[in-house]
Amino acid sequence: MGLHFLGRRLLNTLVALWGLGSLVFLLGRHDPAGGPEQQLLSDGTESGIGTESRDPAAMAAARQAVRHRLGLDQPLFYLSQQAPAAANGARWRWNGTANQYHHWLARLLRGELGHSLRTGQPVAGQLGAALCCTLPLTGTALALALGAALWLGQGLAGPRRWWQGPVRALLLALQSAPLFVLALGLLLLLANPQALNWFPGYGLADEELAGWNRLGELARHLALPVVSLVLAALPDLALQLEAALRHELGTDYAAAARAKGLGEAQLIRHHALPNALLPTLTQVTGLVPALLAGALVVEVVYALPGMGRLLAAAAALRDYPVVLGGVLLTGAARLGALLLADVLYHRADPRIRWTR
Amino acid sequence: MDQVAHRRRQYAALAWLLLVAGAGLAAPYLPLPFAPAEPDLLAVGVSPAQGAGAGHWLGTDPLGRDVLAGLLFGARTLVLVTVPAALLAALLGAVLGSLAGYGRRLAAPAPAWLLGAGLGWWGLALPRPALGLAAAAGAGAWALGQWLRHRSGPVWALSLDALIQGAGALVGTVPRLVLVAAVATGGPLSLTGLGLLLVLTNWPGPARLVRAETLRVRALPFVEAARALGLPAACILRRHVLPLALRPLRADLPLRLAAFVGLESTLSFLGLGLPPDTASWGRLLDAARLDPAAWWTAAPPMLALLLTTGALLILSKK
Repeated sequence: MGLHFLGRRLLNTLVALWGLGSLVFLLGRHDPAGGPEQQLLSDGTESGIGTESRDPAAMAAARQAVRHRLGLDQPLFYLSQQAPAAANGARWRWNGTANQYHHWLARLLRGELGHSLRTGQPVAGQLGAALCCTLPLTGTALALALGAALWLGQGLAGPRRWWQGPVRALLLALQSAPLFVLALGLLLLLANPQALNWFPGYGLADEELAGWNRLGELARHLALPVVSLVLAALPDLALQLEAALRHELGTDYAAAARAKGLGEAQLIRHHALPNALLPTLTQVTGLVPALLAGALVVEVVYALPGMGRLLAAAAALRDYPVVLGGVLLTGAARLGALLLADVLYHRADPRIRWTR
Repeated sequence: MDQVAHRRRQYAALAWLLLVAGAGLAAPYLPLPFAPAEPDLLAVGVSPAQGAGAGHWLGTDPLGRDVLAGLLFGARTLVLVTVPAALLAALLGAVLGSLAGYGRRLAAPAPAWLLGAGLGWWGLALPRPALGLAAAAGAGAWALGQWLRHRSGPVWALSLDALIQGAGALVGTVPRLVLVAAVATGGPLSLTGLGLLLVLTNWPGPARLVRAETLRVRALPFVEAARALGLPAACILRRHVLPLALRPLRADLPLRLAAFVGLESTLSFLGLGLPPDTASWGRLLDAARLDPAAWWTAAPPMLALLLTTGALLILSKK
């Protein structure tokens, strides 16, 4: 594979990320009236400036001061609409480089994601700390879902067994359940003092525990979230793999392998599976960001600290820099996965060539 | 035999969906004793058995809101948001997908592009509108000069295929849930706003299907025959290619609807998107987390959601 091709893909990736970030930046601020400073003033984070006095003039001044400090008093984009048409008939005003979008982009090019509007901490640090909690969760779920899908797909495509029908029906039923319903159902069934109280319902293990105890506690806390993520990702993977295997088992080379006396299990493992895995590779590249989005739901339901809860809380509190950083990170993960899939495709099937 | 059972299941699915849609559309006209968003503080978290006498036939949630009213008005929100959004996404996808698959290139002489851009600048009243008029006039002079000297100038072409595919890839880089959540940061969205956001983030799916099918169909012999007869491209696309190219959308539409149902309820569950007083099944499930013992708040919306998405999945299978 040529370096030329990789460079081109990387360039496309960067352009896509810039476009996506801009889209979210501009669309995310569709309501300029109730900005984040309202939240800051009302929850007392921004103390000292006239929060005690209920004087409307002082409140307005405090608002203005916070807006100015956060840079929110600047126009959003290079162009802004002006209500009364100007003397020369223009309905749009050119703002020059003194606008929020320009500042954001300039800082992004220098590698800074900015600071959280609420806590004032750097966004990159916050995202990194959140990833430390999310990656074990999603990584485990991804590995388990892939393993289970490989096993189930082979079993379902293999010779007829009594359990194939019920398992297929169960997978189809799981396919229709949104992730948050799965997570909430598991929570209400298995971590509920009123029903079965087998698992803890929220949080991670205590900080005081050490060694194996802590690891066991952690596993108990992460069991339900991981299971919900696996159950949500499994049906698509397993059913798709089964269909691909069935297709491969009907081809001529499979018939030839059977004719030389190969057993069905060996035929699947050594001949059909490598060919059937190609579409699954594509699915996995889609799965990586999907698991991050899944973390958004699961971490909220099970009250785990992590990327998803950080994003959900930031979205609810209008912490724009954190949301934008999260979106960019997710997009970068997705595009990285796509690049990786291209390389893996080439490895899995050397006949695949890229033109252009 | 299997076919008959499948047909029966499809009728059952259709009946359930019609029931949900009918209940949702009729919700404001039904004689319900309680409104969905108003808490009844005299009956907070009562079970169906205790609340039936007071008119809470399915009980109330831990905030005192009637579960039955929440279910019916939640169905209304669901229908009003997802059905138009899915139809619009399919329409937009069909238009863009067929253009990408068939049109391929939008070619015009350079002065025409310049003229269009200049007039657009002037029409939108961007800063210094005179600049746009000047550009348009310059383009006109250029075209006139070419025409007088009987020379053809450069032709600028825009590859629609690359443009549309690029835009689709752009929207598809981030999971829809994350994208919608990020855009909802700016504050609560209206029903129309949420619907438009769903359309904006979901048109690439149908567009990709229609594009692939258009590419397949346009290579078939009867399209070639139509071209040999001298039919214009727009006519071939509309009368001969599109009827075949739109077929994958029939299976895609229920799937898309199921995804929208899941997305809407997930957003409401997370407290993002629609304003907090809008009834939704996700909102009911969110309230169910407050009191683990109140099974009557969690079970009905959960069941309704599962049945709805399940019915849509059944309908999508041939």
